[in-house]
Amino acid sequence: MNGAEEPTRVSIVAGPLVGPVLRRVVGMLAARADLPLDRLDDAVLVADLVAARAPAHVAQATVDVALQSGDRSIDLRVGPLRRGGGRALVVDAAVPGVGNVIEQLADQLDIVSEGNHEFLHVRLSYDGAD
Amino acid sequence: MTPIAHTRVGRPATQESDIRLTLPARPENIAVVRHMLGAVGQAIELSPAVVDDLRLAVTEACTNVVRHAYPGRSGTLDVVVRPEGERLEVTVADSGRGMGPSPDRRGPGLGLPLIAALADSFDIDESVPSGSRLVMSFMRTRRDPAMRAL
Repeated sequence: MNGAEEPTRVSIVAGPLVGPVLRRVVGMLAARADLPLDRLDDAVLVADLVAARAPAHVAQATVDVALQSGDRSIDLRVGPLRRGGGRALVVDAAVPGVGNVIEQLADQLDIVSEGNHEFLHVRLSYDGAD
Repeated sequence: MTPIAHTRVGRPATQESDIRLTLPARPENIAVVRHMLGAVGQAIELSPAVVDDLRLAVTEACTNVVRHAYPGRSGTLDVVVRPEGERLEVTVADSGRGMGPSPDRRGPGLGLPLIAALADSFDIDESVPSGSRLVMSFMRTRRDPAMRAL
């Protein structure tokens, strides 16, 4: 997270509500970050992939994501994940014939270890001209 | 509708809940909460009447937090949504100055009576060490919006 303001945090018990809730919150914050429509769509796609794949790799019963929208950027910090879960989540997001979607869409992708857990940090931004 | 109840309630920790959203207590974030509630309502197939009442009641609760909880400083707004059987329970909490008379108006506002009218039950949890905690419960099977009766 890089902004001065506290991030928005969403925590959802791994299950059918993760996708609908995460998609809406990410979409709202991506729109507020003034991302163009293509990148907003990318952010929602990343949220959908995280919602679909993260439950297999979380360290507890919930999928937790901290979000921060900035100037034409949005940062997602997913975790805590189990050790190795960050890379596994990214690998799981590969689509046959397309490749790894999160890797392709992210401007920055990091896995940070903290104690026995990992956090996946994904940044999507837009630096083009309108 | 049940009347406003001021109770001390022993509730499970919010981290055990189904959905928890913690945001900076700023006006623009109330829209994020409303959007999230719409997603939940759609996902668990709430009737439009319940979603309307839910959104309005929670908006009032969140507005109270944004306007009054942190005078002159920043703080967080905490919203927990928990589907429980036939009910949907929503808790709106802050760690600010707690509930009290609004300094910028005479007498109580419409927020709490409106919440009481919209929710099927409503508690102010006074067991929290600081801030305020409103617990609203909505019957998932309700077909007519409470707003119609107001």
